[in-house]
Amino acid sequence: MNRKQWLLGRREVTLALACVAASVLFQFLSPYFLTGPNLITILRNSVELLLVSLGISFILATAGIDIAVGGALGICAIFVGWSVQGGWPLAAVLLIGPLIGTALGLVSAALIVWGKIPPIIATLGLFGVYRAAIFLLLGGSWISGLPDTLGPAVNTSIGGVPVVGVYVLLCYLVGWLIIRWLPLGPAILATGGNERAARLSGVPIGKTKFFVYGFTGLLVGFAAVLYVARYRNVETSTGGLVALDAIVASVLGGASVLGGKANLLGTMFGVLLVRLLQNGFVLMGAPSLWEQVITGFLLLVVLILDALAGNRRVNGSRLVTMP
Amino acid sequence: MRRQNQWSACLVAGLMLFTAAFGLAQNKPKVAFVPQIVGIPYFNAMEDGGKDAAQKFGVEFVYTGPTDTNPAEQLRIVNGLIDQGISAVSLSVLDASSIDPVMKKAKEKGVKIFTSDSDAPKSEREVYVAQALDQDLGFTIIDELAKRIGEQGSVGIVSGEATATNLNTWIGFMQQRVKEKYPKITLLPPQFAGGTAQRAFQLATDLMTAHPDLKGLIAVASTTCPGVAQAIESAGKIGQVIGTGYGSPNTVRSYLKSGAFGFSVLWNPRDLGYLTVWAGKQLIDGKPFAESNAVPGLAQPVKYDPATKVLLLGPPAVFTKDNVDQYKF
Repeated sequence: MNRKQWLLGRREVTLALACVAASVLFQFLSPYFLTGPNLITILRNSVELLLVSLGISFILATAGIDIAVGGALGICAIFVGWSVQGGWPLAAVLLIGPLIGTALGLVSAALIVWGKIPPIIATLGLFGVYRAAIFLLLGGSWISGLPDTLGPAVNTSIGGVPVVGVYVLLCYLVGWLIIRWLPLGPAILATGGNERAARLSGVPIGKTKFFVYGFTGLLVGFAAVLYVARYRNVETSTGGLVALDAIVASVLGGASVLGGKANLLGTMFGVLLVRLLQNGFVLMGAPSLWEQVITGFLLLVVLILDALAGNRRVNGSRLVTMP
Repeated sequence: MRRQNQWSACLVAGLMLFTAAFGLAQNKPKVAFVPQIVGIPYFNAMEDGGKDAAQKFGVEFVYTGPTDTNPAEQLRIVNGLIDQGISAVSLSVLDASSIDPVMKKAKEKGVKIFTSDSDAPKSEREVYVAQALDQDLGFTIIDELAKRIGEQGSVGIVSGEATATNLNTWIGFMQQRVKEKYPKITLLPPQFAGGTAQRAFQLATDLMTAHPDLKGLIAVASTTCPGVAQAIESAGKIGQVIGTGYGSPNTVRSYLKSGAFGFSVLWNPRDLGYLTVWAGKQLIDGKPFAESNAVPGLAQPVKYDPATKVLLLGPPAVFTKDNVDQYKF
């Protein structure tokens, strides 16, 4: 049932249309918007958030949440930065981020599954711990001016398409395969849909949760590698509030904080829409603060529409229209 | 009997000594400084200066602040320090519009409250310890940039938090200078990146896209310097776009050397922290500031303006690739 609902979800179409509409408007206001370099810039600026949001979509599907991903990203970035600074071979630098990320994700899962702590509390606690750890690890001095070790693996393009775009697409493809074709997919959605019912029908709840948080950690670690490759700098605010941005993008994309839903394509367009708005506002010469207003407003509209749609289903009639 | 007296005399004397010593330690006045954010090189340097001054002038230095640039969190910390009975509390103001209740509370409790590094000019603060005149900072960055871009072209501004008083004031003076002296320079409206390098990078890149003929980019907050510089490097615009900002030598060293940053303007934050604690001690002792003050440990005399209650560290410094290696903060 959930799967059918997921397949029939049209959120990605709405968001794609919103992207097109915004693009037309911005192009009208700035001649530099619809140019190859600018579109590639938007894509490049989206990659870390795309990866983190993919993970968050999985977590939201189990009715969980992870606020600590920003802190985890910062910690991974520090280790990646140090390994670049230390002149490690490329393969080792590429591996260390995802390894540490996965480990941190499993810590969240352990607290939630074994510690039986509600996800929002567990990860809120971890968020504080990670932020403090970042300050302690860096000791107040940023890692800056790193050598371009990661450049060849990350900052190149194949036929005009940045290779990072390909990496992100591959990650989403893997995500889609998991949801759609592996037994894990229904297990994730069932866990979020009704955990008790799922447990009674033999779904391995604990393992499923360990998977989603571990998988998210892996993606966060990979995002940290891309972050360091692009900015060649790790500051104490690295990661920042990326968790909130990712939750916004996922919910925009059709995820529900109540679980049981996953729309990866929607998440992808959700991220792109947010980044596109941020870019467009600067190009048309408006203060960037307005973009936050618009993003917040969009989220509220989507949630209200969701609530109305939910009412419709409860009433059992799809014909009831909005007043 | 006599022996007993001797013993009790000893005991009493010992106790008195002990209480005296303990009392002395306790009476050592405390001066606190609350930065806008902890854990960044800039405020770390202020902390170091504060510690040195505390040792020199016999006070205890308390350094604590928010882990992100959150005005509400900063006020909470300042409130806590006032409640703890710290004699003098200074802060680098994040939001001047919400500071008044805290100032009032400090006055009621007899706590000397003053600002340092970022001001709330309309508040009841005792003094503002200024790093350099805001006007000098705003003017210097424009003058130095104008020299390098031939006094014409568009210049973008990437700032940090939109509520930070000091950043907004500097931007105001930049705009004033351009208006008065450089008619051929167009200063674009400022963009705000918050506290992250990532967002600064994004804004800088977008500004370069929107204005292909952009000549300069000014990173106003120290947290935005790496992002802006990296954006210029990534866009392959070194030489075409001259980056600059209020960044410490350690933060901008590699960008000055790569050419992404032409120069950087700042003061010595260590000296500013030092001066802050000295000012706190003067306030606690009830000593007024003279128009020119010789502060032990600082090379130059420190000027004071009684009308605005501003204590001024000195003129700003300009760092370039040639002199940056002389500085270690």
